[in-house]
Amino acid sequence: MPWAVLRNTRIGMAVKPALMAPQCQGYEEESQMIETFHTMQAKLEATPHLLRLGRLFSETVLIQVGSDEIYLTFEKGHLTQVTEGPSRKTPWRFALRTDAEALAQFWQPLPAPGFHDIFGLLKIGRGTIDGDILCLVKNLRFFKEFMALPRAEREDAA
Amino acid sequence: MSIEPITGRYLTVTVEGAPRRIYFEEAGQGRPVLCLHTAGADTRQWRHLMNDEGITANNRMIAFDLPWHGKSLPPEGFETEEYLLTTEAYIETVLAVIEGLGLNRPVLAGCSMGGRIALQLAALHPDKFSGFIAIEASDFQPAWYDIDWFHRPDAHGGEMGAALVSANISPYAPNAERWNTLWMFMQSGPGVFRGDLSFYTKDDSLIARLGDIDTVKTPVHLIVGAYDLTCTPEDAKRTADAIDGATLAVMDELGHFPMSEHPVGFRPFFVDALKRMPEADAP
Repeated sequence: MPWAVLRNTRIGMAVKPALMAPQCQGYEEESQMIETFHTMQAKLEATPHLLRLGRLFSETVLIQVGSDEIYLTFEKGHLTQVTEGPSRKTPWRFALRTDAEALAQFWQPLPAPGFHDIFGLLKIGRGTIDGDILCLVKNLRFFKEFMALPRAEREDAA
Repeated sequence: MSIEPITGRYLTVTVEGAPRRIYFEEAGQGRPVLCLHTAGADTRQWRHLMNDEGITANNRMIAFDLPWHGKSLPPEGFETEEYLLTTEAYIETVLAVIEGLGLNRPVLAGCSMGGRIALQLAALHPDKFSGFIAIEASDFQPAWYDIDWFHRPDAHGGEMGAALVSANISPYAPNAERWNTLWMFMQSGPGVFRGDLSFYTKDDSLIARLGDIDTVKTPVHLIVGAYDLTCTPEDAKRTADAIDGATLAVMDELGHFPMSEHPVGFRPFFVDALKRMPEADAP
């Protein structure tokens, strides 16, 4: 992907995204996805209980959305880097692979069955998880709640 | 200030040749309904229905904590024992509680592994019961995960188990009840969830017994939530199809712990299930 945009954003550092002209379809969608993860980065910083849950989590996670790769580097629960791939030089601990449409459904306030949880995506064949699964399980609540951050606040169904 | 009508007491019975001190709760009067909790949890899952006057007016709701769960201690010597629940021990425990409490052919309502054992009892000991409500229950579920994840010295099995089973809770569940449900898993004793899952994910003996269930003598009603990833509606339908005369209800907005995660949403399905069960036998 010669048009790929690399953005390394350190917490507390304003990094202007590299400006590159889109050269193929999908640029806008990919740009939106990277924006979503930057928004999640900010939301995580504003969610004290998640930072507390993730205080021992310092790993890089690969999120693959369709053919696009995004590397999330966490340090003690803080998301310190959101890096757009692909990269053969970036080691990662575990990977969640899905597609943009599934992720959009996952982020709905009331997702349909299967789209309501990352393991649901696996169950319905819209996602895979590989790598160090035990590391994921040890930090499962933190990672699942992080991934659900874009989910809009819902009306309490009671 | 309020005081709930649920009362709790202890019963000591013999299971596998040794005493088991079992905590049980009850509320209501009339037809006895014995309720079984899921893996890794306890009697608190049933508290909403047990506090429901519309249900307890005509039903004596009883729930107990399996040994190793909730307020039921593990057996003496547990400190050197690996807890692995078996179909045989589970059946023996349920029958011992029925006998110990002097219950006359109760309706048996079980969820998840409680639903599984309800169907085992429907096949093996139907004379002890008047009917069966099998919630989030299926013939067999192999594990897609490693059950050993949930009992290891370098991580908290309860927190990992809660994070895993949260995948089975509906997004329609009220947030407070979602977390009350997960809290029970977080509190589960070390190795208990793993030992329950061993039974749930490795014993497939029910498959061959489903055809033995006689729903003319004891009705069987299955209930399943669409958000249940562990026992999906397809799993429940496959199971119901293998039981001649069994009925099935699918709850579109509920998950694997319906009585606990969303009691208001579950209530009409449970009331409907009770209507399908015989009235209480004459004393």
